[in-house]
Amino acid sequence: MAKKDTIKTKRRFFRRKEKQLNRSMAGNTLLFVLMFICGLFMVLPLVMIVNNALKPLDELYQFPPKIFVRHPTLENFSDLFVLMNDSWIPFSRYILNTVIITGFGMVGHVVVASLAAYPLAKHRFPAKNILFSMVVLSMMFSWTVTQIPQYLIISWMGINNNYLALILPAWSFGMGLYLMKQFMEQLPDSLMESARLDGASEWGIFWRIVMPNVKPAWLTLAIFQFQQMWGNTGSMFLRDEQLKPLQFSLQQITAGGVARAGAAAAVTFIIAAVPITFFLICQSNVLETMTTSGMKD
Amino acid sequence: MAAAKTVKKKKWSLSQRRAMKGFIFIAPWLIGFLWFYARSLFMTVQFSFSELTVRPGGGYDLRFVWLDNFIYAFRAHASYKQVLTTSLGNMLVDVPLITFFSLFMAMLLNRKFKGRTLVRAIFFLPVILNSDAVVDAMNLARSMMSGGISSASAEMAAAASSGMSIEYYIQMFSSLGLPEVIIEYVSGAVGRISEIINASGVQIIIFIAALQSIPGSMYEVAKIEGATAYETFWKVTFPMVMPHIITNVVYTVVDSFTKSEVIELAYDTAFTVQNYGLSSVFSLVSTVITCLILVLVCGIIQKRTFYYN
Repeated sequence: MAKKDTIKTKRRFFRRKEKQLNRSMAGNTLLFVLMFICGLFMVLPLVMIVNNALKPLDELYQFPPKIFVRHPTLENFSDLFVLMNDSWIPFSRYILNTVIITGFGMVGHVVVASLAAYPLAKHRFPAKNILFSMVVLSMMFSWTVTQIPQYLIISWMGINNNYLALILPAWSFGMGLYLMKQFMEQLPDSLMESARLDGASEWGIFWRIVMPNVKPAWLTLAIFQFQQMWGNTGSMFLRDEQLKPLQFSLQQITAGGVARAGAAAAVTFIIAAVPITFFLICQSNVLETMTTSGMKD
Repeated sequence: MAAAKTVKKKKWSLSQRRAMKGFIFIAPWLIGFLWFYARSLFMTVQFSFSELTVRPGGGYDLRFVWLDNFIYAFRAHASYKQVLTTSLGNMLVDVPLITFFSLFMAMLLNRKFKGRTLVRAIFFLPVILNSDAVVDAMNLARSMMSGGISSASAEMAAAASSGMSIEYYIQMFSSLGLPEVIIEYVSGAVGRISEIINASGVQIIIFIAALQSIPGSMYEVAKIEGATAYETFWKVTFPMVMPHIITNVVYTVVDSFTKSEVIELAYDTAFTVQNYGLSSVFSLVSTVITCLILVLVCGIIQKRTFYYN
């Protein structure tokens, strides 16, 4: 009898595991509730941004504030475009500036950081540890505080008031290198060895073996960097109005005060929407990769 | 000439040639790093030992004052020591919480369920919404909402100025019609959590990427061997993400420190009070302390870390 029982429970146990690594209904509900609460806190600001963008002026100033809009309008957006058309630099120019700065800054950083991370993770050479501790040390340093020396350096180089003033420093952030190195370290050495035996050059190994295998890592880095570059107003280095990024012009509007409240709400929506969209595109790619590591041991 | 070159090349051993190639790969980053960051780091150290006066025509003069700035910071400055200790205390509480919370969340988000993309996006939101521009705009929106009517209490205005505060959430939830008792209870419990959640977006992403890179065959083996979910977590998942726990600890420490009050104080000292020397001291001291903490923590974790290979 007892024997039968154990067999039975064993069977039941296995069946349950098949469905979902033995997690109970109650556990699932608890997790769901927890995630729901956490998610609520995260999504609330966004809900507010979206709703604010759709609120007419009188609702924006309502007290106590309401989350949800009663009479949605697109007035704020049309206000914004009127405002934009009044400015003496065309709106498209701001967008172009942002695209250039964000694009080059992001791609350059991902490439440069990955290039540097590969030997740090997978090669042996002198001064490697010193180099790496330099990277970590540089991350400790808050850049808000080193703004003055940074400004001096940029001025000396003569790339002040130029896109390069924002793009070039972005290429050498320590964070990206650190992240890429951590992920590349996890790649099995045998993968690279087999490529080497098949006659691949280091360059070939990097582009055709290493990079595809750490796709989630560099996509993460791209998302991260995009967000940073996107939020850059460049107000410290860029003086010419036609070089300034979108963010700067939008900040001008939000600083406009009460009269421009509607336009400011619309602007906030735009600022938040683009990085979120970029994230959505990238992260669905993160899902598809890395499920198979190309190894058979 | 060509012959000489080949002769020279042959002298290099294989490992030397590999090292050379490694350096070539690193070169672009290293040049940029030395040029932009190493120099500004060096200059900050230099500033911290001197008194900086800006020349009216542009440029600046440095007068070497040895440790005067440090002595002033620790002996005479009104709030530095206190700010430093609270920042450190907050960091020590936050870092483990954030790390484990984000690992937990990453594991949940890594499972397959409907609407996963959406949920992940939601959990990444704080990272995006924390950027300066959005924060500025949000503050404006909030002050509009709370301060639009002049009779609105000063309390609300204060709440509006201090980031995404709890009072604000309470306002929001009560406008949804939830009873106040529940709101207060939840908001009290969540007071700390909301900060942690807001600071853990990047960490969650890093952990998700780490979880993705665990070979599926390992789980298969664990399953065949009859491991329970609990055992699978501790024997497969945890060791495999261990290196990334270090990554995340480092990131969290850096992130929480660069956003801390010490850095704010340093920034104010530089740009409002215009005492660059003192500001450099503030950031230098905090950097050194963070480094020490990191070395300690990473040393402890590294010992227990398992590297796949």
